[in-house]
Parts: sequence; C-alpha cells; structure tokens
Amino acid sequence: MNGLRSGVCAGALLVALGAGSAFAQELPGKFDGVTIDAKLIGGQQYEALYARIPEWEAATGAKVNVISKKNHFDLDKEIKSDIASNSITWCVASNHSSFAPQYPGIYTDLAALLPKSELDAFVQSTIAASTLDGKLAMLPRAQFDVSALYYQKSLYEDEAKKAAYKEKTGNDLVPPDTWEELAKQAEFFASPPDFYGTQFAGKEEAINGRFYEMLVAEGGEYLDADGKPAFNSEAGVRALDWFVNLYKAKAVPAGTTNYLWDDLGQGFASGTVALNLDWPGWAGFFNDPKASKVAGNVGVKVQPKGSSGKRTGWSGHHGFSVTENCANKEAAASLVWFLTNEDSQKLESAAGPLPTRTAVWAANIEAAKDDPYKAEVLAAFQEAAENAFAVPQTASWIEISNAVYPELQAAILGDKTSKQALDDAAAKATEILQDAGEL
Amino acid sequence: MFARPLSAPADQSSGMLFFICLDDMKNWKPSAPTLLLLPAIIVLAAVVIVPLALSLYSSFTPFRLTKPETFYVFIGFRNYLNILTDRDFWVAFGRTVLLLTVALNLEMMLGLGLAMLVEKATRGQRLLRTLMMFPMMFSPILVGFQFKFMFNDNIGLVNNALQSLGLTDQAIPWLIEGHLAFIAITVAEVWSSTSVFAILILAGLLAMPKEPIEAARVDGCTPWQTFRYVTLPFVMPFAYIAMTIRSLDVARAYDIVKIMTDGGPAGRTELLWTLVGRTAYSDARMGLANAMAYFSILLSILFTVYFFRKLAAARNQIGAEW
Amino acid sequence: MNENAAARLKKTLLRVAYWIGLFLAMLLICLPGLWIVLSSFRPTVEIMAKPPVWIPNELSFDAYVAMFSGIGKGGIPVIDYFRNSIIISVTSTVIAIVIGMAGGYAFARFRFRGKSGWFLGLMLTRTIPGIALSLPLFFIFARIGIIDTHFGLILVYVALNIPFTIWLIDGFFRQVPRDLAEAAQIDGCTRWQAFWQVEFPLAGPGIASAGIFAFLTCWNEFALASQLTRSVNSKTLPVGLLDYTAEFTIDWRGMCALAVVMIIPALTLTFIVQKHLVGGLTSGAVKG
Repeated sequence: MNGLRSGVCAGALLVALGAGSAFAQELPGKFDGVTIDAKLIGGQQYEALYARIPEWEAATGAKVNVISKKNHFDLDKEIKSDIASNSITWCVASNHSSFAPQYPGIYTDLAALLPKSELDAFVQSTIAASTLDGKLAMLPRAQFDVSALYYQKSLYEDEAKKAAYKEKTGNDLVPPDTWEELAKQAEFFASPPDFYGTQFAGKEEAINGRFYEMLVAEGGEYLDADGKPAFNSEAGVRALDWFVNLYKAKAVPAGTTNYLWDDLGQGFASGTVALNLDWPGWAGFFNDPKASKVAGNVGVKVQPKGSSGKRTGWSGHHGFSVTENCANKEAAASLVWFLTNEDSQKLESAAGPLPTRTAVWAANIEAAKDDPYKAEVLAAFQEAAENAFAVPQTASWIEISNAVYPELQAAILGDKTSKQALDDAAAKATEILQDAGEL
Repeated sequence: MFARPLSAPADQSSGMLFFICLDDMKNWKPSAPTLLLLPAIIVLAAVVIVPLALSLYSSFTPFRLTKPETFYVFIGFRNYLNILTDRDFWVAFGRTVLLLTVALNLEMMLGLGLAMLVEKATRGQRLLRTLMMFPMMFSPILVGFQFKFMFNDNIGLVNNALQSLGLTDQAIPWLIEGHLAFIAITVAEVWSSTSVFAILILAGLLAMPKEPIEAARVDGCTPWQTFRYVTLPFVMPFAYIAMTIRSLDVARAYDIVKIMTDGGPAGRTELLWTLVGRTAYSDARMGLANAMAYFSILLSILFTVYFFRKLAAARNQIGAEW
Repeated sequence: MNENAAARLKKTLLRVAYWIGLFLAMLLICLPGLWIVLSSFRPTVEIMAKPPVWIPNELSFDAYVAMFSGIGKGGIPVIDYFRNSIIISVTSTVIAIVIGMAGGYAFARFRFRGKSGWFLGLMLTRTIPGIALSLPLFFIFARIGIIDTHFGLILVYVALNIPFTIWLIDGFFRQVPRDLAEAAQIDGCTRWQAFWQVEFPLAGPGIASAGIFAFLTCWNEFALASQLTRSVNSKTLPVGLLDYTAEFTIDWRGMCALAVVMIIPALTLTFIVQKHLVGGLTSGAVKG
C-alpha cells in the first residue's frame, strides 16, 4: 500500500518520508487529535460496518464524530438543507450513485487523495459510476445493487406445468432469459387473486428506474447525447408496453403500481409470485424459513435481456464522500478508504450485500463453495453486475423521476396510451432540464 | 403580527388595557395580560412567525435547495401564477377539501356513536376510555405503514379477511383504483383520529345535566326524539371543538398519505401536502413549494375560522343551560 | 305477567345488543393496533402470508431481543431514542402548560383590546403545516446552532402545543368563580397566593387534559423531528422507526416491536390520567 498522494494537495500535511518510498505513510496514516464529523446512512443493514470505526480511530489517533444517522431519503433532504443554508461543516457523508449528481461541487475528488493502486482494486464500472465530471465523488462500499431474477424452482420442476406450457407456446418451460419469454411465463403462471406471474415496483424512482433499464434493453436512450429526453421513442413505447401488457393480462398483482421495494419483497416471500426481479439485499430473507414461505425453493438467475439483446441492469451503489469544505481531507479520505477496504467489504458482504472490490468477490465465492444457495446467488449476481449501468448523470434525475413516474403509472393503469404518456413525460422532463439550465 | 388582527370592541370599563406605551419608556409598565401572554407570543413568534416570514419571502424566489444563490433572485408572483394555472394543483386542492370534509364528518359521527356506547357502559369505564384512545398512541408514520400493508391487494390483511370469509374472490386493488384508494386513505385517517372526537364528545355527554332528558321522557318523547332534540344540541359544541382541533392539525394526514400512496398512482390520491412535500425536498424547488404551502395554510385557516364560528353559535344555543 | 316477561325479554335483548355493539366498536378501534402488537411477536413469514395464518403458530420475543442487541445484530439505539423522547416530550409538555396557564389566565381574567383577535391569532398559528415550517426552521436553527439538540425540538414542541393549551386552560379558569379568589384576597392573601391556593387546584383536571394532549402530540410527532434531529443526540422514537427501513428492504416486525415500546408508556400515562382528562375537557373547552 502506498500512502497518500500528498503532492496533489499542496500545502496540506507534509508527511515524513520513510524508507525511500514516494508515499511516506501507509494507509490509514496518523492523524492525532483530528476529529472527523460524519453523516452516515442509518438502519440495521448499514450499521454493522460502523463497528469498525473504533479500529480506525485506534490506528490513526483521530476521532470520528457521527453527527447524523438517517435513511438515505432523509439524509438526502438533510444534505440539500445543508447546501441551502450554507452549513456544510462536516467532512464525510454517505452517498449514493443515484443521489450524487444532485450535489455538484460539494464533494472533493478522492482520486487526488488516494493511491491509484487502491482505486484499481475496485470493480472498475462502479468507479466509473462514482466519477462525476471527472471527479471521483465517492468511494463505493460493499453495498452494490443490481437486480437479478428470483424464481420459484418448484414451478419449473412440475411435469404437468411443463407439458401445458409446451403445448400452449411451443417452448420449454425453463427460467426465462428474455423479457418476452418472462412475460409469457408470467401470464401462464398467473391465477389471480391467489397467484401471480410476476410483479414490479410501481412508483417513484423505482418504476422510473425499471422503465429506464427496460428502455436500454430495448435499445433506446433515456437522454440523448445532447442531454435531451429521448425516451418517447419506439423503443420507449415497447419498453412501457411490456409493463402495460402484463398489467392488462392480470399477470401482476393489481396493486403493483403502488408497490415499493418493501411490498415486492414481502410479496415474493409470501409465495404468491412466480418470478421476481429484485435486489441482492433480499437473497437471505427469501431463503430464511422464519421470514419466507419460499425458503428452500428459491432460484436465482441473471436478469433477462430485451429485444436489443442487452440485459436490463439499472444499478446503484452506496459510498462515502469527502467534502470540499473539509479541513483535513487526508484524514477524511483515510476514513473513507478504511470503511471500503477489503476487511470492511468482507465484513459487510458476509451479511448479503454485494462487494465492490474484485478481491472480495473472489473471496466470497470461494467461501460460499459449500452453500449451494449462496453460491447460486453470488454467481447470478456476479453475472448481473457485469451488465450493470448507472442512471443518467444529471442533477435533475430525481426531479425527472418525479415528473415521469405518474405518467408511466397512467399508461399502466390505462388512463393514457403508452405513446401519449411518454410524450407528456418527455415534455415535462424537457421543461425541468430547461429550468435547471441543463438544456 | 398575525395575519390580520381581528377587530373586537374595545372595552373601556377595565383599566387593564392591553397597552404598551412606546413614547414614554421610563414609565413603561406592562399590563398584567401583556406579561402573562408575552411568553406565548415570544415562543410562537420565534417558532412560527419568523420562519413563516422567511418562507413567504422565498415563495417570491425561484429558490432551489441545491442552488443556494437562487434564494436572492426575486421573481415576483411567478410561482403563484404558475400555481394558478396548474391543473394538477387544483385537482389536488379539490381532493384535499373533499378528504377533509368526508373525514371530519365521518370522524364526528363515529366519534359520537363511540362516545355514546362508552358512556352507557356500567362497568370498566376506565378501561374502555383508555381503549377508546388507543389509536391516538400511534405515530402517523406508523399508521401509514400499517394501513399500506393491511390494504396490500395481494397479501394484505383486508383482502385476506374478505377472501377467507368468502365475501370476494377478487384481489381488490385498494390502493390503486381512484375511489378505493381515497377510501383506504380515509379509513386510515378516520381510524387514527376518531378518538379525538370520541373523547371530547364523551366529555360532553358526561357533563350533560340529566333533568332535560328525564323531562323529555316524561313528555313522551321517543328515544330518537330525545337524542335529536335534547342530547345532540348539547354535545354539538364538543363536536365543533374537536372539529376545530382537528382542522388545526389536519396536515398530520400528510405522514399517513405519504407512506400509503404518496399521491399515486398516476396522481389519483394527490393531496396538497404530498404535492408540497415532494416539490419542496425531492424536487428541491422550495420557492414553488412554499407558494403552494400558502394555499394550504389559507385552506386550514378557512376551515378553522368556520368551525370557530360554528362553535360560538352552538355555545349560544345552549347558553341557557350553562 | 306476560307483559312483564316480554318487557324483561326486550330489556335483556337490548342489553345483549348493546354489549355486542360495544364489543364490535372496540374491536374495530383496537384491531389495527393489535395487529401491530401481534406482528411484533410473530415470525415475518406468518405476518404477511397467503393463505393467511390467522392463529399464530409461534410467538417469540426475538424482535425485542434483536432491538436491544448491539448494532449489526439487528439492534438500534433504542435506549437513546427513548431517553430523547422522554426528555423532549416531558419538558416541552411542562413548559407548554406553564406558558399556556399564564396565557389562559390572561384571557380568562382580564379584558384587553383586541382580545378575541389575539385569541384567534394564537390558535391560527397551529394551522401552519409542519412541512411548510420545516425548512425555514431548519435555516434558523442551523444559523444559531441548535440543530440536533434537545433544546431545539423542545422549543418547537412548546410552540406546537401552546395554542390548544391556552384554549383549554382559558375555559377552565373562566369556570372557576371570580369570587373565590377575591374572597381569598379579602382574607389577606396576595393575588399570587390566591391564585396558587384557590384557583390553581381547581384547574387540575384542565391541566391534566391539556397535558395529555400535549404529551401525545410530542411523543408521536414525526415531520419536524425528522428535519431537526440528526443523531442519537436528539433523535426521537418516531424518527427511530425508520431505522428499520433500508433502501430496498424493511424489517416490519422490528418496526412493530419498536412501535410497542412507544405505545406502552403513552398508554399507561393515558390510563392514569384519563379520569381527569374527561373532566378537564368538559369544563375546559366548552364552558368558556
């Protein structure tokens, strides 16, 4: 390990050179008497990692003062309020790839503070998704999210179903590899109100994200090269029609347009849904007999592909950022590095979330050798991660989502045609981008 | 200091005028009511009036949270003009008025029924009254989650119960279909707030003198007539108090609706507060959101003033007995 | 005889109908709440099951054990939240009562210019929805550095509760006859003594009812607390509920367990003061 690239931060902390190394100090470094104020994402899933903070404090002599712990949406509100009231007095904050573009300028370039060898150890696509305007705005932690397909295995082992499906469609009944196939199977399995073929998140950023990835899989673009909304294309209509048709065919629960992730997870766990595109965070929950009826019956497969041959792969990840206002950026960067280093990622990914370091992926797969379910999950998500792509990098993404999703819902519920809904949504999105000065 | 001090007849008979003498500070001696009200006024000014002035100012700017410099750009009434021509806003406005009307009336009727049932109980009053207030212990945010899961079309308690009882073989899309979603939200709101009405009306029933009822019975009134012409007029002031309290506090429903549907799907349950909340923080367009909030404040004020007048009228009506 | 029996039968039937009605009403009131309580003891697989599991197969305290375990084992800093909630709710309730008593007394006992205007004005401050106040409040609080402190939230909650407290207590003092205090003053008490020894004790129930309303408001408030609190220094229980949500997942059982922890103190307090509560409301709010 090299140390801090102190040269880039002129005037900051000249470290004593040792043993002829260009980087004098080993990470984590020494920062006696420094206090780092941090805002961290709260909630059980995220807090196990913070138990390691005392280790960093002991190693560096610095102190971490956690000034806020909230869920991401409230943290987002809080950071916006801080920007608005000009009170960014803290050094480190949790960040998320979908939110990060909204805070231009407040976070410093971590690539200038950490050695390249460390950054190279991360999965490069996540580093790319964390880089905004050429600055590495956040360092990814082991909370990487991309969706894969969960399904009930028993459905595919039922001879009667296999025969019936073959007769009906001429295809073999195997876990689907395309969204078209998935839609057919979903209709085939569905028997409302007791059983549904599949389901999808139906509101807020969730449905917009699902639409976005389907659009990409159909060969379309959300924003074109000039940053103009381009989702009301033919590919866009095809993508939206996929949702509309499933809803019309009653292959999804009627409530799906009000579902968020919590409803989806509970729904699949209740054993009433055949196929479920969902996040890695649920893998353990689905296979826990105390939490889920489908425990022992869960299969996981890479996400299907659209008509363009591309797979869906809307992804996001959590990370930590250091502010421009921070008085001691090296210490802050060291903390951020520590919370995302190999040991931290191993600790965090042991509970289920996906790592963002290549070495940790390998170690986890090795460790899961004797647990067939875990091995299947990891294999599926590793493949899924290869198809991952982030949301368009515009500061207005969330605002556009808020304008677009009611239109998507209107199409799904049959209030509007797909084309009409997308045209209306594109008009609103264009207006937002113009108001924000991005067009 | 307040929007518009309402005029009231000045009272000359009392020496203790609410009166601050500004041109003679040396002899300034605040009157007793000034002193007594001062703490309340200071706290309310600090927590309500000053922030309100700030938000009033920002409603004339294109203020975006993520762009602090926009706080100093003055755009006059543009936000307000935008709102006036925004159809979605007025639909949400209308729906809010409808929800308030339906919910408040339902709460009053159910509260009245509940209070009368509890009042008649000969045993276990203490327990019954506590149980009656049970929903008041639930934080609105919890109520939101609770009813969202209960009304889930696939695995929710409500559909499960209806299907188990054989009342339906459909998965009723409670939170999706416009009318049903409105009903679901109303149910959550009514459940969480009926207690306020019940407890106040119960207070009224217990305070009621027994003679008029006896007299009515002797005069040969049916129980319904007794209720309609004796009991009801007596408890109405209590109901109006509850109405006033509730209309002061309706924005509480925001937390519930935010979790249950957040105004969706496709804007079918959009209320003023969900619209304001999303515009303010998620879209970060604080200036516009504050302009919208002023409409919602206006609405609350209208409701409150209306019930205050109702209350005064009802008090006068039973003035004789008091 | 026959007529008597018929009458008796009718009476019995009415009684039975009444008890059934009462039972059903209470059931409706309590069921959604009890569902939460029950959910906190059941494994998640049974809570949202289909076909539904009506009779629990398994009850356990797992969720409660997890809540109090350390961070990373499903625990949340529930003790801190509880302490914050208690400190903030009790302090702001007491202060609101004191200020409300002063204000209520002013309205009840004195005449001054623009009285009813001031009264309505005070009430109307309560109509401002929290969502409209939250950001400007945040601005000011951030400037003077009282974000994430008990003091900040107490200040807000005092303001939230003053209007209703004044209203209730005003009505109450009006109902205490003026002559009583005057008589005490003739007997040699000062105005101050007369207030504390004569008028104040009579206002007890009014204060109790104002107190419980104020307490419940503080105890359950979420919108402002989520904006003005940040860490274990001041986060209250309703804000802590969200610790059970992650970006894509929710621990509904854990949330229910925390809800039960929140409800028990509130319910106990209500049970203790409910007798005064009803009496207080009677005289307080209406007779004014």
